[in-house]
Amino acid sequence: MFPETSLNVSLRVRADTVEAVQIRSTRMVRAARLFANRAASEVLHLLPAVFSLCGTAQALTGIAALEKAAALAASPGQKAARALLVLGETVAEHGLTIARDWPALAGTPPQLDHAKRLRHALAGLRNALYPHGDWLHLGGGRLSPDRRKITDCLAQARKALIDLLGHDIDELVLPIAFQAWLDGNPSQLPASILAQGWAGLGAAQFLPMPELGPPDLAVRLSTDREGHYLARPDCAGRVFETGPLAHWYWHPLIADLIERFGPGLLPRLAARLVVLAESLREMDQLVHDLHDEPANDLPGLDGEGLALTEAARGLLAHRVVLKNGKISQYQILAPTEWNFHPEGPLVRALTGAPAGADLEQRARLLIHALDPCVACTISQE
Amino acid sequence: MCMAVPSRVIAVDGQMATVEAFGQTRQTSLMMMDEPVAVGDYLILGAGGNFAAEKVAEATALAAIDYLSQVLSDGLA
Repeated sequence: MFPETSLNVSLRVRADTVEAVQIRSTRMVRAARLFANRAASEVLHLLPAVFSLCGTAQALTGIAALEKAAALAASPGQKAARALLVLGETVAEHGLTIARDWPALAGTPPQLDHAKRLRHALAGLRNALYPHGDWLHLGGGRLSPDRRKITDCLAQARKALIDLLGHDIDELVLPIAFQAWLDGNPSQLPASILAQGWAGLGAAQFLPMPELGPPDLAVRLSTDREGHYLARPDCAGRVFETGPLAHWYWHPLIADLIERFGPGLLPRLAARLVVLAESLREMDQLVHDLHDEPANDLPGLDGEGLALTEAARGLLAHRVVLKNGKISQYQILAPTEWNFHPEGPLVRALTGAPAGADLEQRARLLIHALDPCVACTISQE
Repeated sequence: MCMAVPSRVIAVDGQMATVEAFGQTRQTSLMMMDEPVAVGDYLILGAGGNFAAEKVAEATALAAIDYLSQVLSDGLA
């Protein structure tokens, strides 16, 4: 049997307060080292098959790292096409969360039909960009964008989101419209959280991931022989938060909510709506950067490459070393290792929280807000 | 890592499928699938395994299972 990876969050309660939070992880953070001695093309076809939630981001971050290692710059057209695919995956993931998990947490029925329509619309992007199916080709596949199909995909995705949220997503991330949406949709999770007085739940020291990643990332990865950094990353002792809130805390809606409630639960949920709106807006722009391109080939060079992608759950890093055209080292650092670090944002959010009958429910909401990419259990000591 | 094990469909009953991977069977919902699923297909499941996320080609699934077997035997799982 292959073990299912998971997280366990253990809350130690003393004197009516969460005195300590322990996170145990069974995530296979060193598994990518087994990509060594394999051909790059083989690994690129494995990546989307072995990563369940973010296969597109994993594969395209892998391509970018391999191309950097080979000192090959992807063309602007290829970069635009790849960005469209990653953003499409991000929108589908957040849409699914809102359709499936938000109702479950608010005690209302799921809205899976809308999420299914959203996924279906965005799944069409791959074929509309790379009709020959070679989107994983190193150096860039044969790009032949069908702008009409892409525009249709984006329009269908927007329509599914309107049906899911009951509001136009671009307007929804305006502070006044967001407040009106909360007032008019009391059964939606953000409104129920506000009504329960939990908008600022978990507000604590906020250490957002720098836009370009930790400044010491390349050095730390290259010297991480045993995988300790991959399991528990930090930057000079600081454990950053990554994901929607860390990426969009300066957005007018999120800045307004942080000012009112601190960097707590409601700003985190609202940041997902901002991701949806801004991703679709960026996708509309990227369509203009697409043009037909033949497939390129990767020269058989040796070298080292580090690539970063802002994936649905935050910053994803791949580092690869190529020798004689084959992979000699491969490392993957995923957002969950930052957000569910034993000294990271979830621990900061829960430490010192008042105990009570609803403690597990509050912990569940904060875990959801930080969005682990594996199942997560909660226990109390 | 959010690793998925491609799971082979051994039975389909409406919107539910029984799938098998590494000798373990489980039930998963096909509600999020927008293509037909049949016995013998390989599926990638979402986190927790409650929902099937997508279908993968047999050759890709077998390559992934081979890699995951190595992860298991090298003690990295």
